[in-house]
Amino acid sequence: MRILVIEDDEEAAAYLARNLRGAGHSVDHALDGDAGLKMASAGNYDAYVIDRMLPKLDGVSLLARRREENDETPALFLSALGEVDDRVAGLKAGGDDYLVKPYAFPELLARVEALGRRRGPANVTTRFGVGDLELDIISRTVRRGGKKIDLQPREFRLLEYLMRHAEQVVTRTMLLENVWEYHFDPQTNVIDVHISRLRSKIDKEFDKPLLQTIRGAGYTISDAD
Amino acid sequence: MLRLLRTTSFRFTLIYVLLFSGAVAILGGYVYQATFGAAAKQTDEIIAGEISVLTELFASNGPNSLGRVIRQRTAWRDDGLYMLIVAPPGAVREGNLTALPPEALQAGESFFDFNYERSLLDAAGREIGIEAREARGRITRLKSSPESSSWYVLLVARDVAGREGLRERSQSVIFRSALATIVLGLVIGLLFSRSLLRRVEAVNQTARAIRGGDLSQRIPLSGGGDELDHLATSLNVMLDQIERLMTGMREVSDNIAHDLRSPLTRIQNRLTIALEDDAGAKEQALRATLEDTERMLATFNALLSIARIESGEGAGAMEPVDLVAIAQEMAELYEPAAQEAGLSLVLSVGPTPLVTGSRALISQAIANLLDNALKYAAGASRIEIKVESAAGGGAILSVSDDGAGVPDSDRERILQRFVRLEESRSTTGSGLGLSLVAAIAHAHNADLSFGDGSTTGFEIVLQFPPSERD
Repeated sequence: MRILVIEDDEEAAAYLARNLRGAGHSVDHALDGDAGLKMASAGNYDAYVIDRMLPKLDGVSLLARRREENDETPALFLSALGEVDDRVAGLKAGGDDYLVKPYAFPELLARVEALGRRRGPANVTTRFGVGDLELDIISRTVRRGGKKIDLQPREFRLLEYLMRHAEQVVTRTMLLENVWEYHFDPQTNVIDVHISRLRSKIDKEFDKPLLQTIRGAGYTISDAD
Repeated sequence: MLRLLRTTSFRFTLIYVLLFSGAVAILGGYVYQATFGAAAKQTDEIIAGEISVLTELFASNGPNSLGRVIRQRTAWRDDGLYMLIVAPPGAVREGNLTALPPEALQAGESFFDFNYERSLLDAAGREIGIEAREARGRITRLKSSPESSSWYVLLVARDVAGREGLRERSQSVIFRSALATIVLGLVIGLLFSRSLLRRVEAVNQTARAIRGGDLSQRIPLSGGGDELDHLATSLNVMLDQIERLMTGMREVSDNIAHDLRSPLTRIQNRLTIALEDDAGAKEQALRATLEDTERMLATFNALLSIARIESGEGAGAMEPVDLVAIAQEMAELYEPAAQEAGLSLVLSVGPTPLVTGSRALISQAIANLLDNALKYAAGASRIEIKVESAAGGGAILSVSDDGAGVPDSDRERILQRFVRLEESRSTTGSGLGLSLVAAIAHAHNADLSFGDGSTTGFEIVLQFPPSERD
């Protein structure tokens, strides 16, 4: 992915760029809002990572201007302001995701990669498949190897989210935000337990586990070995 | 004294006194005119009437007849009417005055006032003295026949001594009342201003004390429940809020210093050793350091959240929310985790009115309480989330467990930031979970209490006030 990072803290920007490159992405970065806007207008990026508070032009206005120009590049806001109102303001301005500082890099990486996938016809797909696991949104059925698997409504949504982001890392917070629509960090292993229940239904009786735990980051559903 | 004169209330009083005195003067003038003016007019009319009757009599019957009538009419001297007919060339012919008063000739045919003397009589009619009296009268000149060249002079007068005295008294009464009004008004104004000034001064004193650093000072109330009391009450509430925030801030900075010192020291030690050690130890030290810094960042995040919620920011829009729905979602979210921990998570909900709140914050509070129960409820076998309507309107949300509970003596303490009881020192946690719950409760004007002891373990009860829309 080509990613534009607009972040005024030079050290933070360099850290982000290095890590994103380490994950196989190409990264440009701008240190203020004006420069960021110019680069965004000129370049063809797959995702923006924008700090909310920037010198010269703040992140929210910057993105609002790009959206006026019909630039639909998905954007992730980074912010030290994490409360509901800030999040809502960021998403209203056209942001696709919102991450509160300080964050763990795997969290950011997972979210940025999820954003990149969001574009394209995948959004209108109603059937998803990973290996021999299939999920049909219309009939709300899940099959593995042709065998029907019964899931609770929440388990279905959990699996749906994972399969929409198949081959990608999905963090616990992303799951809590997107499957349960809650924005907080649980101190206990609530998400893990839901995952292990789901896993017992879709993986237990089969040879190849699809739902994998990525240490220090989250989960992924993948057919890869 | 000078300050007193400059007070707003005194200025108002002054304006009021001036307006009121003006009104009293106008009213007094009107009353005076209506009574004494009318009386004076009446006197003049009586005199004029008498003169015209007597003039006609003189014209038709002549001086002798007039003299007779005057004699008869003045036989009683106490009705205060005086008549005198002077025949040419100047001798008194008849009447109850000894002579024409000197003012009579100057006045011509118009009314005039004069003084005269009258003997005082006792009850038996004996003379016991002389008194000076005032009278008002008019003269007219009469001719016995058109061709005669000599004039008779007729005087008709009326005693006005009583009226004059009354007039003087009235004038002085009006003057004195006006004066009394002004003086009384000023005095009352000063008193009012002084009491007002004293109360404003009380506010000032409180403000000065607070400026001086004593945040516990409050404005005393007069107890009368007037608007100044209302003002003082709302200022006091504001001061409470400020004091709570200040105290909170002080506690937080103390606690941060205290609580972050140990991980920082640990990190420092580890790094020092790692610098000298082999690669394997270095990696281990770095991992441990990373864990420590992550925990510290989580602590800072939690602190920031608490601070923002307490300051009233960050709550998001407060809107009608359904506690039952939130509790159901949270129960669903935590049920697997509870089961894995060997606990049953029970949800009991009854019909509950909506409350004004933030779904995000309330769910956060429930999550913290459930996290706590999962982590700290020693020996518990069951966690219960209960939502029901409150007796006086509003709703009650409680999270309880049947574990070992928390000793009464520690209950208030655990709401404070960074407080972790000895038993829980071994587990991870920032000691901020319940502080956040308390902050969220406060943001919702909800009462936080520790339950009524009906459960054996620990219980936190949040009582939400009725939604304002009800």
